[in-house]
Amino acid sequence: MPGWASKKKHPHKGKHNVMKTINTLDSIDFGVASSLHQPQELKHFSADKQAKLASWTIPSRKTEAWKYSANRLGLNAANIEEASVNVRSADVTTPYQSAYSLDSYTVVIRNGQIAGDLPQHAHLRITRFEDLSPEQCQQVAEGVTASSDQLMFADLNAAYLQNGVFIELADKQTLDKPLKIVFLQQGAENSFPRVFVSLGKNAAMTMIEESATQSGLNSSDLAPASSCALVNSVTDIRLSANSQLTYLKMNLDQDACKHIASTGVALMRDARFESYNLALGNQLNRHDLIVKLLEPGAECHLNGMCVTKDRQHVDSHTSIEHVAPHCTSNENYRCIADDKSQIVFNGRIHIHPDAQKTLGSMSNKNLLLSSEAEIDAKPELEIYADDVKCAHGTTIGQLDETELYYLQTRGITREQAKLMLTLGFVLELVRACPVTEIADFWEQTLTTILGYKA
Amino acid sequence: MLEIKNLHASVEGQEILKGLNLTVKPGEIHAIMGPNGSGKSTLSQVLAGNEAYDVTSGSITYQGKDLLDMATEERAREGLFLAFQYPVEIPGVSNLQFMKTAINNIRRHRGLDEVNAAEFMKQAKAKIEQVNLDPAFLKRGVNEGFSGGEKKRNEIMQMLMLEPTLAILDETDSGLDIDALKVVADGVNALRAPDRAVVMITHYQRLLDYIVPDYVHVLARGQIIKSGGKELALELEAKGYAWLGIEEEASA
Repeated sequence: MPGWASKKKHPHKGKHNVMKTINTLDSIDFGVASSLHQPQELKHFSADKQAKLASWTIPSRKTEAWKYSANRLGLNAANIEEASVNVRSADVTTPYQSAYSLDSYTVVIRNGQIAGDLPQHAHLRITRFEDLSPEQCQQVAEGVTASSDQLMFADLNAAYLQNGVFIELADKQTLDKPLKIVFLQQGAENSFPRVFVSLGKNAAMTMIEESATQSGLNSSDLAPASSCALVNSVTDIRLSANSQLTYLKMNLDQDACKHIASTGVALMRDARFESYNLALGNQLNRHDLIVKLLEPGAECHLNGMCVTKDRQHVDSHTSIEHVAPHCTSNENYRCIADDKSQIVFNGRIHIHPDAQKTLGSMSNKNLLLSSEAEIDAKPELEIYADDVKCAHGTTIGQLDETELYYLQTRGITREQAKLMLTLGFVLELVRACPVTEIADFWEQTLTTILGYKA
Repeated sequence: MLEIKNLHASVEGQEILKGLNLTVKPGEIHAIMGPNGSGKSTLSQVLAGNEAYDVTSGSITYQGKDLLDMATEERAREGLFLAFQYPVEIPGVSNLQFMKTAINNIRRHRGLDEVNAAEFMKQAKAKIEQVNLDPAFLKRGVNEGFSGGEKKRNEIMQMLMLEPTLAILDETDSGLDIDALKVVADGVNALRAPDRAVVMITHYQRLLDYIVPDYVHVLARGQIIKSGGKELALELEAKGYAWLGIEEEASA
């Protein structure tokens, strides 16, 4: 059994064990155990989730939420020997630190442990998990991902809880610089970082969440799924009345890691959540985003851009829960798949019976650049209220001939015109990103990846 | 500069141009008028290289070369420019990026270095002001959310940036208010030079009050049925197409 108590691997786990049929998540040892002294309440929370792992069947093609990505997981006990190798260095330089210049309050969580000092700010309180009060522990246990019964990897994160930060922005405060969280990965060790963010009433800030690997940047060869690290992060967010969060998430690592991230957001009255998510492909890049509009007037705007090539894989699952009336949601995801890569988009809007006067819209546009690429798009609308406006649209297509022709009439080659349109397809959303430093960095990154030159 | 001989062209199997002849010399401005459905837009699209149009017979020689043998982008690099009747919206591709790429393509074709970034910006700002558009439009997606008039001005702005040898204006004047019409006319007049030529395809005589053509042609049923000087346009305006025995094939 994985967990706090056992720092050593279970004696039964070993290479001979591969032969055993593995059915549930608890049958796998992910090779990490906390050495920290966690508050009692957190230990209980984690122990509950450990127990719950026995109820999670390891995803297969038959698991609806993992239908197109299960084969990318490569979960088995065989890689534990390797995964236990612990790489550490004193260097906490993050790979994208110099890629864009942005003044921020930065928290680096490396391989599930807090690296370096935490930023100091009069109104922004950042607490390590080992120092949480019972009330804070309670909030962690009641977070959106923690209380969801659909996120097996958020449960896995909790079961293997390492360390994390609890971030609180005081009432009425607008943070002067963005807060940046970096999930930094080194070596083949699995990691389970966790963040809890709470904004007080009328508070506002911008938060950047970045996944990065310290070495092996942009290596184009994908390692087999079974031998690379699993980075399983969780971010729970609570937005008090009339608070506003701009959430920029980027996973630009095109390396061999498997990234599974869960983000849960709870919005109180008139709170506003705006997200921009840029996901590039790797072995597995999965993001679950659950947004709960719990009180009237709450509003969310979810924007996502996924770009894959080679044999990369990106899977985005979003779920917007309209629990209260008079809430607004707006979702816009753009995906581009080239070569033999695959992108999965599953966008769900769930309008509860009491959520009258809901305004919901979802747009998902997809572009296939190769006949061997695959995009699996699934919009899901569940509407149980009768007075709502809800629209959705999904398209999968190739480039527009008229647009190509127009560019060609200005002297641009067909090949270059294709690149321009492909880039433009995602830049439309990138340019809407309110942090210009990030928007510019993303634009450069995508321009390079898609091979465009003016 | 441009010599069209016995041009036959069809779209979706239907023959539109039925033996069109036209000769344009450097320094000249030609106006081609005609009712809807006469083949005006087909002519402009065939010249620009739209592959949806099939040339079934005839020839087009541009600066001594076989135009029909050239790819769309090659024609543009050789100095041919078409101002679209319906400019295309391309969200996500900014006007600046679009123009820079186009200019660099044309410059490379002429064996020149890539455009200097500062010089390019200066020029782009000057040209966009020349067509009375807010410089903020430079950063917006190509024609994205532009009004009809703004799109036409943007076509003229592109024309001024690319400085074509042969400019073809496909009903650029249609649907414009008088201020926008003057912008278009000023743009064309600014381009006027002994080594350049302009072919204006238009439905209305009004444009010709601002741009004085050297020749006016009447296109009907896929052929040029009458040619003359600028007074032909006035005569057409006064007497209508019926004067030439032409019925309007669609609502005028």
